[in-house]
Order: sequence, then structure tokens, then C-alpha cells
Amino acid sequence: MKTFNSGGVHPPENKLTEDISIEVMPVPSEVAISLNQHLGKPAKPVVKVGSEVKKGQLIGEADGFISANVHASTSGKVKAVKPHPHPGGQYAMTVFITPDGKDEWAEGCNTAPADWKKLSKKEIIEKIRDAGIVGMGGAGFPTNVKLSPPPDKSIDTIILNGAECEPFLTADHRLMVETPDLVVQGLEIISSLFEGKAKAYIGIESNKPDAIAALKKLAEPKGIGVVSLKTKYPQGAEKQLINAITGRTIEEGELPFDKGCLVQNIGTAVAVYEAVCMNKPLIERVLTVSGMEIAERKNIMARIGTPFREIVAYCGDMTAKTNQVIAGGPMMGKALFSLDTPVVKTTSGILFLNNSRLNKSRERTCIRCSKCVEVCPQGLGPWLLANVAQLKEFDEIQLYGLANCTECGSCTYVCPSKRELVHWIKYAKALVNNRQKRKSA
Amino acid sequence: MISEAFIPAVSSLGAVALALGVIIHFVSKKFHVEEDPMVTIINDILPGVNCGACGYPSCNQFAEVLVETKDSSMSCPAGGSDLAAKLGDTLGIEMAEPKPQIAVLMCQGDNDIARETAEYMGIQDCWAATQAFVGPKQCRYSCVGLGSCIAYCDFDAMRLENGLVVIDKDKCTGCEACIAACPTGVLVMQEKKAERYFIACNSHDKGAATKKACDAGCIACQKCVKVCEDDAIVIDNFLAKIDQEKCTACGKCIEVCPTKVNCIRLEHDLNAVKQKKAS
Repeated sequence: MKTFNSGGVHPPENKLTEDISIEVMPVPSEVAISLNQHLGKPAKPVVKVGSEVKKGQLIGEADGFISANVHASTSGKVKAVKPHPHPGGQYAMTVFITPDGKDEWAEGCNTAPADWKKLSKKEIIEKIRDAGIVGMGGAGFPTNVKLSPPPDKSIDTIILNGAECEPFLTADHRLMVETPDLVVQGLEIISSLFEGKAKAYIGIESNKPDAIAALKKLAEPKGIGVVSLKTKYPQGAEKQLINAITGRTIEEGELPFDKGCLVQNIGTAVAVYEAVCMNKPLIERVLTVSGMEIAERKNIMARIGTPFREIVAYCGDMTAKTNQVIAGGPMMGKALFSLDTPVVKTTSGILFLNNSRLNKSRERTCIRCSKCVEVCPQGLGPWLLANVAQLKEFDEIQLYGLANCTECGSCTYVCPSKRELVHWIKYAKALVNNRQKRKSA
Repeated sequence: MISEAFIPAVSSLGAVALALGVIIHFVSKKFHVEEDPMVTIINDILPGVNCGACGYPSCNQFAEVLVETKDSSMSCPAGGSDLAAKLGDTLGIEMAEPKPQIAVLMCQGDNDIARETAEYMGIQDCWAATQAFVGPKQCRYSCVGLGSCIAYCDFDAMRLENGLVVIDKDKCTGCEACIAACPTGVLVMQEKKAERYFIACNSHDKGAATKKACDAGCIACQKCVKVCEDDAIVIDNFLAKIDQEKCTACGKCIEVCPTKVNCIRLEHDLNAVKQKKAS
């Protein structure tokens, strides 16, 4: 079975919701749509307080090349545009809409599925850009930018990422089982942009045999390879997935297209299909509501902008023992500070965890056991990075590959001294950035 | 005999030491570097903490440049006017009077006044905390309260008290080392004055949001702007700011501020220094 060449861990999978079908969540009493749901510059608001909007209407316009459009996820009245908590942990400009209950689509949106083969390459990319599609795996890189690599780079491998290696999360898994046809069509649209020169693969971890079977039936006759991957974290990280499937290694400072590869998420492929064939902007996504402390674990199709508080109520409330609510997976997700935080395009799940799952003991000193070195998929020395960060040696730390760390969390997971290795690395990255900013100012 | 065993060892080592001594003597003569004795004298007067506030990486380099150029506009912010006078006497020139500065925390949101967001269990450092979320306090412009700046202060002028950094007015030399160490930019430099009024708030949130997060936040109500007779107060992006050049320290603004914990503060920097000296 294929896997990446070095490191990795295997935390308890806890895929508690893998057999629960996707449930469509009703319109919440208020939607709070963040204008910063992607990498790059936040979108510029194009609606005013008090104006009426329709479902699918543009409310935030991409500001610059690396940015993405944002659309209303239901019809109603704009109540406010103000900073609001964001699942990334910071505040972001957010458009608040009070739904009118009609849930009316804007003109030209959500049309009957049309044949994408009649569209030109340029039209397809324009449709993807207009629909505000971003990478739905977590980073949120604008998809239209990723699909237009520089002309001197030739793409020979397109990989659809169905690994979903984070424990608990099953959103992509359910999409693959329930709508394999949309996944395959989305991938075909993406491949068509490279004139059939690129070989397409779907990489799926072996703990999802039903998804592998469903996709094999549909994809293999079309020449798409379905690759079963070893269940190991972080199999779904872009660099590791490329390494597992093609054997190529993305070196420091390189991007996947430097090695002829392009990776897209399962959710993104479905969104691409809906945008290109049905003119449907990205206004909803599948997310997993799981963890030990929520009454009903579910996979839900929630509108972008649904406050987490309403999702908690929809899933039958959390118990009093809940100590941490995490947006995303337990390895890379972020602990929330407010339940008013809304769903964004990159929210793959919400987890409710109690004390027994938390690393509550204090950090102790490094005992040089080198477990973190063994599990680092990027071949770094996390203990060294953390220790040097702690000593505030920010010139030296860059020599040890600070920029190469993908913050996957494998090192923190195995550390017997409970060191906050990834947190120290993030801290170092922030301070290195701050110093560079001050130097250039 | 033991003493016999010593003779070759002592004599051979002695010979080596003598030979090296002679070499060192000649080398030091041959490669002697002429150094202005004045640099050493100036260097001894300077504080010697290499804080970098003057723009030179070390006190020694400052001394070298000063002796060479005799530029009267050069100043050591950490030393203040006393040091400037001493430097002037030593070099026989009239040094410019330095404008003493002080680091000021534009926040009063201590653990009682500011509302907290969530329990923070990560690394106890302001930069680490702001990487994880907005910080332990709801106001994202506030003093994070974990004291990252304290380690950067060479003069022992900062301490943490009830979730807020406190700056010792007498010890702070205005070297600016703490400014770059703050992730929220809540520390600023201000000129020392006999009576210095300033808005001790850094929040650019709208009034309602500021009030929700903190009792001492500037809600941009315009009251102080209207009462100010010198046009010294302006509101920029929902935060009042007092222009220290225009302010005549009449104190009218502090009386009209409606916030629960007055966000306008009055400090007596110079009096504090003088009183201490008198005693």
C-alpha cells in the first residue's frame, strides 16, 4: 500500500460519524458571512447595511489576484458589516444577514445542470473564480489561481485528496460515498483544463473501503486512478500526498507545480462541478460535528455563515463537561474562543472535547528522545526548532528549516515531555515575520 | 628525588613562556593600534547597556563616532540631560538638550476591567497567545498581559501587575527596545512632560464593541474633542488621540470623559524625577 516516505503518526481514528448520512441543516436565524475565508487579501464588501440580498448574490468582491469572492448564503436583509470572531482565532470583517425565510436564489444561480464540455478553458476558470471557490481542505487557497499555473510549468499529475487523515472528520468521506458522480465530474472538469495531458488520481486512505469501491466503479472506466493509501497521519497533507502517489519530493521553497503536480480537495471538486455546470457559488459545505461531548454526532450540510451556536443547538447541545471546541480536526484545528464564530469555506468540522482528551499538563524540558524527529514528515528536528525558538535565536532558527514546517502537529502528538512544539514553531514564524517587516519598514 | 624531576619541567616551560613573552612584546609593538584615549573616557561615562536607542549598535561605537565628529546633535536617550551635560563638559562642546522620552502603555484593561475571552493554556508569551487566538482579553488591541516586552527591557523598568504591564517612570530611559516586542502595538513612545495627558486606550473598535469588551475603552464619543480649546484632540478610526504639541494641559477633557474607568490619563513625568532627586 502506498504511503509517504518518512515520518507520520497514527492517532486513534475516531471516525464516529462515517456511517451517518449528510443532513441538510435548515436556515439559521442569522448568518454571519466572513469576508476573509481564504488565503490572501480579504474580500471587499459590496453591499450596504439595509440592502436586500438574494441567495447566491455577491456580497464581497475579490480584492486583488490572490483573493476570492464571497456570496450570500440565503436571502434576506444586511443587518451589519463589522468585525466578528473568525474560526482562525482572530476577528475578521463579517457581513450579517437576517434571513427573510424565503431562501430565494439570485437570478442565474442554481440552474439545471448543463454540459461543461461546451465551455472553453477560460470560461471554466472564470466561472470558478466568480463562484468564489477556494481549497476546502483547510488552507483556503483560491482555486482559480491554483488552476492557472505559470505557463512555463507543465502539470502532468492531478491528485484529488480524499485521504481525510485527521481523526474524527468524515465530511469528505461522506461526499465520496454519497455523491461519487459529482466528485468524478469535478475532477474531469479540472483535468480538462490541462487538455488531457495530465494523469488524474484520487488518493483515499484505506480506512474508507466504501469510498474506494464507489469511486473505483465510476472513475476507473474514465482512466482516473483510485489509489488506496495507508492510514497514516498526515497522508492528506499536500506534500505528503504527492510523495505517496508519485514518489516526488517537494523541496523547501518549491510549490507542487514545480514538480508537475496539482492537488485539490474532494469538497473543492464537488464545488467546481456545481459552479461550472449549475452556476452555484460556494455558499454551503459539508462538515462533521463530532467529539465526545455532543449529544448527536452528525455530518451536516451547513450554509457558510451559520453560527456554531446554532449548530450546537441543532445537534442537541453539548454536555457540561465540554472543555474545548475545535474548528477543524484535532491535529491542526484551532480551539475557538466564542461560539458566535461562523462556519467558513474551510471549516471541515467542529469537535467537542473534554478534559481527558486535552493535554493539560505543563510543558517540561526536552529529554532529547528524538521521537519528534522520527515522526516529522518533513524531515525536520522539531525539538531543535522549539528550543531555538524558546531561546529567541530568530536568525539561527531559519537555518534549521523553519519555513519547511507544515505545522501538522505530529511532533506535539508524540512528545513525552508534552512540549508545545508546533506552538513554539508558530511563535518563531510570527517573530521572524515581525522582524522582517520592521527591517523593510 | 622528587625535586630533580621538577627541574626539566620547570625549566622547559619557563623557556617556552619566555620565548612567547618576547614574541608577544614585539607583535604588540609592531601591530599597535592608535586609539583615542577620549573614546575610553566617553565610553566610561555612557550607560554601557548597548540598548541601541541612539541608532548605534553599541555604546562603544557611539563613543567612537561622537569623538570623531564632535556632533553636538548626537544624543544618548538612555542617559538623558545629565549625561548630555557630562559629555559636553568632557568634550568641550555644547551638547543639544535631549528630549527625554518614555514608553507608555495605551491600555488600562487589567484583569478586573477587561473581559476575558477564554482560558488560555498555551505558551505564556504574548506572541504565542496571539498566534492561537485574539488573546486572553476580548479586546484585540489591548495589552495581552503575558509580558513579552519585559524580557527586552535592559533597565528593569517593566513589571506585570494584574494582567497589565506597568512601566516604572523613573527607570524607563526611552530606549524603545520594548516597542518592537509587542504584538498588538499597545506600547508607544511619548515625550516626558510635567503634565502629560493621553488617551490610555488603543482600541479602534466602534464604541459599542469597545464598551462590551472593556470598561476603560475609548468609545469615540467626541466629548473631549468638543471641550478641548486647543484643537489638540482628534478622533481617528474610533479612537481619540491627544496631540502632545498642541495640548496645554488645561485638564478639561479629563472631566468630561464618560467612560466607567476614565480613559484619559494624566501623568507627571518630570515632577516624579525631580522629587526623587530632591529626596
